[in-house]
Amino acid sequence: MDVASGLIQGFSVALAPGNLMWCFVGCFLGTVVGIMPGLGPAATIAMLLPLTFKMDPTSAIIMLAGIYYGAKYGGSTTSILLNVPGESASVVTCLDGYQMARKGRAGAALGIAAIASFVAGTVGVIALMLISPPLAKVALSFSSPEYFALMALGLAMVVLLAGRSLVKALMAMLVGLWIASIGTDLFTAVSRFTFGQSELLDGVDFVIVAIGVFAVGEVLGNMEQREAAQVLPVPKGLRNLLPTLEELKACRFAFLNGSVVGFLIGVLPGAGSTIASFISYGLEKAVSKHPEKFGTGVPEGVAAPEGANNSETGGALVPMLTLGIPGSSTTAILLAALILWGLKPGPLMIQDNPALFWGLVASMYVGNVMLLVLNIPLIPLFAQILRLPVELLYPLIFGISIVGVYSVSGSLFDVWMLAAFGLLGYVMRRLDYPSAPLILGLVLGDSMERALRQSLMMSQGELGILVSRPVSAIMLGLTVLILLLPLFRKANAWRVRALEENG
Amino acid sequence: MTKRTLTSALLSTALLFAAAPAPAEFKPTKPIEVIVHTGPGGGGDVLARFIAQAVEKEKLAPVRMQVNNKPGGGGLTAMNYVVEKKGDAHAIAIFTGVWVTNPLTQAEAKVTVKDMTPVVRLVLEPAVIVVKADAPYKTLRDFIDAAKKTPGQLKQSGGSITSRDNVIRQLMMKNTGANWAFISFPGGGERIAALLGGHVNMMVIEPQEAGEHIRAKNMRVLAQVADKRLPAFADVPTMKEAGVDIPNVPQVRGVVAPPGIPQDAVAYYEDLFLRLSKTATWRKYLEDQQFEDGYLRSAELSQFFDQYANRMRDILKEAGAKIVR
Repeated sequence: MDVASGLIQGFSVALAPGNLMWCFVGCFLGTVVGIMPGLGPAATIAMLLPLTFKMDPTSAIIMLAGIYYGAKYGGSTTSILLNVPGESASVVTCLDGYQMARKGRAGAALGIAAIASFVAGTVGVIALMLISPPLAKVALSFSSPEYFALMALGLAMVVLLAGRSLVKALMAMLVGLWIASIGTDLFTAVSRFTFGQSELLDGVDFVIVAIGVFAVGEVLGNMEQREAAQVLPVPKGLRNLLPTLEELKACRFAFLNGSVVGFLIGVLPGAGSTIASFISYGLEKAVSKHPEKFGTGVPEGVAAPEGANNSETGGALVPMLTLGIPGSSTTAILLAALILWGLKPGPLMIQDNPALFWGLVASMYVGNVMLLVLNIPLIPLFAQILRLPVELLYPLIFGISIVGVYSVSGSLFDVWMLAAFGLLGYVMRRLDYPSAPLILGLVLGDSMERALRQSLMMSQGELGILVSRPVSAIMLGLTVLILLLPLFRKANAWRVRALEENG
Repeated sequence: MTKRTLTSALLSTALLFAAAPAPAEFKPTKPIEVIVHTGPGGGGDVLARFIAQAVEKEKLAPVRMQVNNKPGGGGLTAMNYVVEKKGDAHAIAIFTGVWVTNPLTQAEAKVTVKDMTPVVRLVLEPAVIVVKADAPYKTLRDFIDAAKKTPGQLKQSGGSITSRDNVIRQLMMKNTGANWAFISFPGGGERIAALLGGHVNMMVIEPQEAGEHIRAKNMRVLAQVADKRLPAFADVPTMKEAGVDIPNVPQVRGVVAPPGIPQDAVAYYEDLFLRLSKTATWRKYLEDQQFEDGYLRSAELSQFFDQYANRMRDILKEAGAKIVR
């Protein structure tokens, strides 16, 4: 079936009143789940699964997919307003989004996040529709050495995330890598750094560290300057609550970058949206004319990662729908759902159930529009939260953080860990250590170590496997280039100074 | 009514009481908590939610079942929680094989499945051995021969070294003298991607998962790890038929309860799950998932735990894992 007739069939499915309603229900629930830190789309879908047994599978997957991509929209809200990452993929959004809010541009940041989500989400669906099958084949050619190179490339972003001191950034990253190594080693079943605590056997949940270091650390730091603390400026008037034309113009490349990077990384079963958002943020900064301003509240710094984590949804559906391979925890549950409804997810599903595939694709176009319409009017409302006096706002942030962490596992141990990481975040702020590299190390550490060990097991200990494969060689080459960037800059500075002295 | 009929009526009532097993006195009076060791969406969680729904639909119990996720600690968080609920007859837990195997290698484990009350074993999940469709191995023998020719060169993708995939590999290597590498991937998707991408040569996979890849001619199945052939794989030899006679190591799931619950509560749950296992809903679930009915009562399950732990201890030792108990 060609794309045009498929789409026509798809829209006739997606625009049926019942499906339209389920699409809205999914998008709405997704937005709510995304806004609430902790509870993620994967858990929500799993809990709603029994309710869908009696539904028509097409309507059901339209709704569940709505939760999946809707959550990516909502995730940015608390990141921008409160520095509390709503879900793991929104951590990077905190970096510039929260700074924009502090400068009185909270509404603009939320608006840019929504627009980036819309653009990238739509690009993701278009790509899913047009190039799924060939791209799925390319994704399969990715093996452990390529994943290692990709993670190395991601880790090299530390150079770009570093603030004033590269040494401090590297130290923060090493702490992140160390936290990533806590837990049971997959290859040998040996536990590492658990200190006899069974709670640590599965490792430290990324959400706890991110909320602790970002949100709790931030509040603790601000409390210290209580005398100076003021209510954040929230300008009145719709014009001030939405992004300006200049801000949108500045994001042109970021929309594209986020869409493409997010989709491509989403297609790979071994990567994920958090990695996608970090890489697209790094790329945005690397090509920016004013990289020094990143981290102080630039709109591109919000648009790129938000775009990436939405486009990733379309990408993650590629291996799931074309090959029956789940690329993330959420797609794994969607796959389980398809089986429970009596469908057979796998390489033949699109052929066997064209109405389901095209209905889903069409519903994602509809859903993205719905989400934009749903989110834009909420912006002025959400921005008001910053008007709260600090004595209400800070306890509120603490409350949201604790509930968010507790809802992930229902374990008090995790709440204590949140407190510990909050203190760590506070100390890092006091000593001027950037927190983003720590999160970067934590996100990439586990997969990077695994990819390296898998590669070496495949090659029987031969390190050459990492550079003998073209794709991984190119990525490792890029990694070295990025790592050398600061040296070039320094050399350039010396050259300029020498010229000035001579002249 | 004559005296005689009255006597016989009394007698038959008495006989009825004597003949039937003592009816379970325990009746749940509040919702039953079903503890699972994964987050929502994990294997145990999906089963638990299906059971809760089926029990409600078939009206098998007077109360509802409520799933409680206790993820973390490789299952230990849930296991500790079950033991802490000592004496609570309104709590049950879904166990899987890892409840038996993980404490063998984890010094952090303070409890094992033997500290709980065994209730029933419910399902056995068979497995099939697959290669990529264009691989040169047509039979299991071909693969073994190739592995013997190039020791350590062929690769299998799978989960942790304590997983069933690796246990089957260890048993096969021991039985045949061949030797190949085992490469761990955390997610099922990555394992399949590694095989379909041609980065590894073989994998052990759930039949339901492999079904569509086989139908699409992406994978070829060499043998099935089951005692008798599965209906969906009627023309595929079992391991024994393929010439590799290793003990069957099924993935197992069932129900345990906190320690110290009354005997009649155990009897109640044994009966509840027996009735569940006879419903059409349950039959269809097993068929869709290609699971085998593995129903065992409490006493048999207790023995099964011992055998399983002993066998796994030996296998893991050979696999090079550090055994702590």
